[in-house]
Amino acid sequence: MRINCPHCGARDAQEFTYLGAADPQRPDGLAATEAAMTDYVYMRDNPAGPHRELWYHGAGCHSWLIVTRDTRTHAIALVEPAKTRKAGAAA
Amino acid sequence: MAETATSWDPRGAWAGIAQPGSFGAKGEAGVFAIMLEGFGLASVIAEPDTTAALSQTVEALLGLTLPPTPRIARGPAHDIVWAGPDQWLLRTASRNGFTGLLSELSAHAAVSEQSDARAALRLSGPRARDVLAKGVMLDLHPTAFAIGDVALTNVAYVGAHLWRLDDAADGPVFEILLPRSMAGSFWSWFVASAREFGCRVASGRG
Amino acid sequence: MSGQSFRLASGGLIDRTRALAFRFDGKSYEGHAGDTLASALLANGVRLVGRSFKYHRPRGILSAGPEEPNALVELRTGARREPNTRATVVELFDGLEAASQNRWPSLAFDLLSLNGLVSPALVAGFYYKTFMWPAAFWEKLYEPLIRRAAGLGRAAGAEDPDHYEKAFAFCDLLVVGGGPAGLAAALAAGRSGTRVILCDEDFRLGGRLLAEKREIDGKPAAEWLAATLAELESIPEVRIMPRTTVFGLYDHGIYGAVERVGDHLPEPAPYQPRQRGWRIHARRAILAAGALERPIVFPGNDTPGVMLAGAARAYVNRYGVLPGREAVLFTAGDDGWATAHAITAAGGKVAAIVDTRKDADPARKALAEQLGARLFAGGVIAHARGGRQLDGVTIRDASGATTALACDLLAVSNGWNPTLHLTSHQNGKPAWDETLQCFVPGTLPAGLTVAGSAAGRFTLAQALDDGARLGREAAVDAGLIPAGAGPVPATDPETTALTPVWRVKGAKGKAFVDYQNDVTDKDVELAAREGFRPVEHLKRYTTLGMATDQGKTSNLGGLAIMAEQTGRTIPQTGTTTFRPPYTPVAIGALAGHHRGKDFRPTRLAPTHDWSREQGAVFIEAGQWLRAQYYPKPGENDWLTTVNREVLAVRAGVGICDVSTLGKIDIQGTDAAEFLERVYINGWKALPVGKARYGLMLREDGFVMDDGTTSRLGERHFLMTTTTANAGKVMQHLEFCHQVLWPDLDIQMVSVSEQWAQVAVAGPKARETLRGVVDSTHDISNEAFPYLAARAITVGGGIPARLFRISFSGELAYELAVPADYGDAMMRALTRAGEPFGITPYGTEALGVMRIEKGHVAGNELNGQTTARDLGLGKMMSTKKDFIGRLMVGRQALIEKDRPSFVGFRPIDSAQRLRAGAHFIGIGKAAVMENDEGYMTSVAYSPHLKHWMGLGLIRNGAGRIGERVRAYDPVRNGDVVVEICSPVFVDPEGTHLHG
Repeated sequence: MRINCPHCGARDAQEFTYLGAADPQRPDGLAATEAAMTDYVYMRDNPAGPHRELWYHGAGCHSWLIVTRDTRTHAIALVEPAKTRKAGAAA
Repeated sequence: MAETATSWDPRGAWAGIAQPGSFGAKGEAGVFAIMLEGFGLASVIAEPDTTAALSQTVEALLGLTLPPTPRIARGPAHDIVWAGPDQWLLRTASRNGFTGLLSELSAHAAVSEQSDARAALRLSGPRARDVLAKGVMLDLHPTAFAIGDVALTNVAYVGAHLWRLDDAADGPVFEILLPRSMAGSFWSWFVASAREFGCRVASGRG
Repeated sequence: MSGQSFRLASGGLIDRTRALAFRFDGKSYEGHAGDTLASALLANGVRLVGRSFKYHRPRGILSAGPEEPNALVELRTGARREPNTRATVVELFDGLEAASQNRWPSLAFDLLSLNGLVSPALVAGFYYKTFMWPAAFWEKLYEPLIRRAAGLGRAAGAEDPDHYEKAFAFCDLLVVGGGPAGLAAALAAGRSGTRVILCDEDFRLGGRLLAEKREIDGKPAAEWLAATLAELESIPEVRIMPRTTVFGLYDHGIYGAVERVGDHLPEPAPYQPRQRGWRIHARRAILAAGALERPIVFPGNDTPGVMLAGAARAYVNRYGVLPGREAVLFTAGDDGWATAHAITAAGGKVAAIVDTRKDADPARKALAEQLGARLFAGGVIAHARGGRQLDGVTIRDASGATTALACDLLAVSNGWNPTLHLTSHQNGKPAWDETLQCFVPGTLPAGLTVAGSAAGRFTLAQALDDGARLGREAAVDAGLIPAGAGPVPATDPETTALTPVWRVKGAKGKAFVDYQNDVTDKDVELAAREGFRPVEHLKRYTTLGMATDQGKTSNLGGLAIMAEQTGRTIPQTGTTTFRPPYTPVAIGALAGHHRGKDFRPTRLAPTHDWSREQGAVFIEAGQWLRAQYYPKPGENDWLTTVNREVLAVRAGVGICDVSTLGKIDIQGTDAAEFLERVYINGWKALPVGKARYGLMLREDGFVMDDGTTSRLGERHFLMTTTTANAGKVMQHLEFCHQVLWPDLDIQMVSVSEQWAQVAVAGPKARETLRGVVDSTHDISNEAFPYLAARAITVGGGIPARLFRISFSGELAYELAVPADYGDAMMRALTRAGEPFGITPYGTEALGVMRIEKGHVAGNELNGQTTARDLGLGKMMSTKKDFIGRLMVGRQALIEKDRPSFVGFRPIDSAQRLRAGAHFIGIGKAAVMENDEGYMTSVAYSPHLKHWMGLGLIRNGAGRIGERVRAYDPVRNGDVVVEICSPVFVDPEGTHLHG
């Protein structure tokens, strides 16, 4: 499998580490509840189709990336840096 | 007791691992390897919104532009190598005055000296690409990896920072930085991979 | 002399000037350069080359290619011995040694062929039905018995002396197969400037052109072939790789290939690998792998001398070998007739042509007459006779009458199956073509197209046309302007009419569907009767299509018979999904350089050579090699050495490399805030110049890692991690920064490789350091107290960092210098500490001292413990959020009865403790319900002169003084221990502050 790192270009999947679903958001702060944290830590969808997921380019630029991959075909539709997305959303 | 009178002799990353000489197939060497020594190296990471200021400082001090993509900017005594988003490696041929330069840059960036952290090799010769193809999962064809291009990747499972310099008369020239601790494993792979082409090894200054 | 009695006087693509000597089963033979082992054996009249898997039936050479199910031999001897190599693809070399397999005591006389007499017991499902009970019989009786009787070749049993390599390639177009279609494709693309890689598994390019007598543009095809190869070789961007099998297609256009660099030599050439495993990244690929011929199932169809018709042709035309002097052709279509031509042209006799088609086409009739062969239109072979060699056949003609004919070759032709394997590696399902009566490529993976016979387009004209067209398409795809499309070369006419026959029914005797697995038509019928009808069940019940040939000659026959049995069509019955590899691949070619000590990179500390000089014994710690202990002459066991090292540290001073710890430089205005969020304890109040112990959790509440972090400046920290977790922690911190809190102003980089670091521990540590630290730096207890952390200089101006931290409980420091000075630092410290008896110590002594002090390490930070479990619960701040904060509060994780961290000492101080022992109440049975926890770490304390342990036991802290059993049945351990404080030495910590 090849992942097109937005910083480094197309690289072999060996250079990356997989984490899991990209969309769950950590409930930050002292006000967060255990229930919300349980959801964040454990509850995941298992879609047959496009899946937004986190990959770490550990052997390359050390960027965390959001990869939109079809779980049925491994076709990758989009790769974005995780950092840009979050900062953009917060602004 | 004062500091000891005995000397503290520095020992480079290749010490005890590789020596100047030749190995592999006899005859005209297909690969040349120069173990680079004595260079200064530092990682420079821009702080949020200081890339412009850092860029100006670098321009003023070194006459170089920070490459925003995986490229190397080369000056007479300094190189700046892309090392990730908002990150660069600053390399100098000599460590003299390096500390001073780093503290000037510290005003705009997180600077960490890495002069001792990497083993460095310059690889050239007509078969240099063929050797790298045995460990690098990147397309190094001249049209795909141009002069000045940089890659952070793996070579034979060892993390590597790789770039291409101007071609020499006998073929392409690459430089490669490796974690110092893995220089021995890298060298084992390199010898196994380059011996069919014949290799000459020398020491040199970065 | 020439023992090559079946070698033709002329012709073939062998070099008759180069004779090659070889041995088969100890007997010497001669062949020629350009031969395969199979062609050389046939030239020498050797027909019997192996025994079958189950019934030990005599077997010969069926094919001339990679599909060979029968002629499997052991190649070479000693450590290079390789089992199950196909004689049909082994390139002959001088001195080659091969041996037949699966026979005992000899190939000609095999006692186990008696299996054939008891064969009713060995039908499909035999193992499942017979060897069921009792279970213990499996290991002792059934398995050894079966292993002796069945199975293929023997592995070498010694380490492979050769070197293997991996390599990576990139191209616009990968062409798989160097026959007419592949060559035409490579040429069209190459002429356009496309970066082309052309792979062929054979040692000679040309594919079927080598085996046929064809014409291209009115000239012998060999001329076109030579011209094409010459032009391809002249194009710089075309790389031709013979002896290279593309064995698999993986995601995103990645192809696996194996290049047999040295397999055709007695041993690899100097500095060359034996094989090279390639990973080829191709923007596009053209599969031009040709087709594999299909046998027919009839009694005795495995007799040596029964051969695929196309193979017989290949032996005549390519190798100049007559595979039989008196031949019979059994064909279901036009293609087989070419073999009759080839044999007659080579001086052989074709006694009969048995064409299964009833319509006696006048042209065929005339042709048979011309060839001097009797034609049996609508006939079949009812039986092939012979033991170790074919004696003759019984023909049943259209009227049902039988004729017996003597012959030594039966050439069988039943049409061809496209070699479409690669198209199905990415879940592509082959599609049945009713007209062609074969499976053709179905949905294709992205980037792959199929040309020529591999697409079911079986004529030479179609192959050349497909190749040229798809080659130009690939050029366009690569953004190039395709070279002008000249006319596709003309070929001599050919016909491919075919009415396949899957088996001859109503005859007696064993008729094989799968030669390699000894699966007969009766086995398929039995599977149908017993309900194993889906193709996957059929495969597993009968083993049809398994083993090294993966059913290349048998899958379709099996499907066809099952279809017939169940009244369905072949496509209704199913298809076979091919998986990589196409043909067997040596593990060595996949591992390349990375085996033995090069299995993965090894990391060496900058002090490594110094430690080696001191006689260190090294141990793997993650990727690192660390000094484990430093035996002195006369110390004959490790414990003596470790005890000496521990006592020396506690009495004087010792040094131990800690360069392997992860070191992460963290800067930025939010650096302290960031640490607050990733560690459980507070960091904002840590003064500059101080270090603090930190513990970080995973988000699920369990401990991830620990270490000391020092504040080097207001906005500058240096974090250390454990050796094992350095990479994982860096990844975690990057995650926290980039994904969770990208707005924090922090910059992180690993500086692990930059610093050589050493622990200097013991009451004389300070005095020793004074010998190396420049005198401008005051390191007195007052100026440099416990947990001080500062930049200093050593050796006259060398920048260094000094940390007053202790893992041993003694007065201790860690000194870091740039890695180039690591070696010098060890030497300088050794000199400075000489008056105090300075002693190097390794990870073993380090471990003893940390256990004596009750410090947790990797054994306790095992992913199942919380801070509370480890007695570090009070470190958890309640005033801030941090990773793991909420999950650690879950009910099950705070229960009083949860196993928690305490010390253990044996009641009988002579008894040894073992890590991994489980705690059971005194007088209670050693069963799971009574399990109270387990011992995580043990060591012998030379200080206390007995073993001590750390461990996790239910409500440990509340049970100090209680006795339990430390039960270790694996090593016969059952020791009564007392639960105690985990701190065994200097509980007040007076040494630390000395």
